[in-house]
Amino acid sequence: MNDSKTDSVKVTAFCCNWSVKPGLRLSNLTTDEEDKTIVTMCTGRVGPELVMQAFEYGAWGVLICSCPLGECKHDANYKTLRRILLLKRMLLQLNIEPERVRIEWIDTGEVGKLQNALNGFYDEIKKLGPIK
Amino acid sequence: MAKPKVAFYWNASCGGCEEAVIDLAEDLLKVADAVDIVFWPVALDFKKKDVEALKDKEIAVSFINGAIRTEEQEEMVKLLRKKSGLVVAFGSCAHIGGIPGLANFTNRDEIFERAYKTTESTNNPEDVFPQVKTKVPEGELTLPLFFDTVKTLDQTVDVDYYIPGCPPPPDIIMDAVTAILKGNLPEKGSVLSPNIALCDECDRNESKPEKLEIPEFNRVHQIEIDPEKCFLAQGIICMGISTRSGCGQRCINANMPCRGCFGPLDGIKDFGLRTMAGIASIFALENEENLSEEDLSKLMDKLVDPAGLFYMYSLPSSILRRKRMEEK
Repeated sequence: MNDSKTDSVKVTAFCCNWSVKPGLRLSNLTTDEEDKTIVTMCTGRVGPELVMQAFEYGAWGVLICSCPLGECKHDANYKTLRRILLLKRMLLQLNIEPERVRIEWIDTGEVGKLQNALNGFYDEIKKLGPIK
Repeated sequence: MAKPKVAFYWNASCGGCEEAVIDLAEDLLKVADAVDIVFWPVALDFKKKDVEALKDKEIAVSFINGAIRTEEQEEMVKLLRKKSGLVVAFGSCAHIGGIPGLANFTNRDEIFERAYKTTESTNNPEDVFPQVKTKVPEGELTLPLFFDTVKTLDQTVDVDYYIPGCPPPPDIIMDAVTAILKGNLPEKGSVLSPNIALCDECDRNESKPEKLEIPEFNRVHQIEIDPEKCFLAQGIICMGISTRSGCGQRCINANMPCRGCFGPLDGIKDFGLRTMAGIASIFALENEENLSEEDLSKLMDKLVDPAGLFYMYSLPSSILRRKRMEEK
């Protein structure tokens, strides 16, 4: 993800401290990209209000990287999934592309998957552009 | 000592807030004795020029109901703001947008198209639409501009206090009026109703199971509602979880679930989203671990019109404020 590729694309990524942060450390994200990632104690705390606040602050897209379903100690990622599914429906009604919000399930060791998820999301959001 | 001057004004509202003032019954006489009403278009024959003639801040308090959707409303509330010491947003529409705020799912063009062209009862063969200026032989007629987006009162002028409700109940109004007259007021920006969730004072709270789970969403017309049992326990979405109390459970007592007219508890930034998050977290399914994302997605489709439901009273005060419209 060199600079020309990210070219002012604004993505906020919320990452689970337990499953994703270790991989985040090992990944070859630039400092700038790390700045756009927010480590949360559990993605169960990433409520729809927080996602929309990221958009309010100028994000073009929001990625939530969570433990795979069934692997969260609190089973909170099921709640996150239900909330995000409902949020996407509400966004559709408000004419905001639901694709701007995505959940990825990433396990502790899956550094490559994390990197691919971030790359893929950047590419897709770049095509969508900012919310007008 | 001169009595404090008071004004009432209405904007995009149904008239229910005016009715709520009348519902003060005998207490209204006490209020009328204690204050000097200088402006109240629905009841008294004062004009805009009478307000203009007052000194700045001469009105002690203006109670303003309704959302802001026309140029005239904007002009009037700015005038009242200038002439008033305190401005109180009165009722859901002024507070959080209210039912008129649902117009933010559309815009002026679509509303005019529907109202003046496509309703089943419209007969408008010449496509006559309201105009801001119309030339007639006698001169020029004007109408206030109709905005694309409905705004809350505090998105238009500075607001000191909020009296919530659709409409605000008499006891909440009297408590607020008494506090204002005695100068016994909380911090500026406060909502003058208890900062506890409706669920906390709900008579049906006792019937709530220890672990509240909704296996499926029901709508009020789909099941026979048990009048004693928590709505959520019956699978009916009730917004009391995040709504302020003070309403006296009017809807609950009429066997209808809360739709959030009292607005959010303090600290909630987006009322609709916070309520949705709460509902989604108790939407519990057996064997959820065996369901695919697609299966879960299909189950979510059973919740009809989520944005309209969770933002029933609060769309203009939400983070997005309105539906994004395509530029033409």
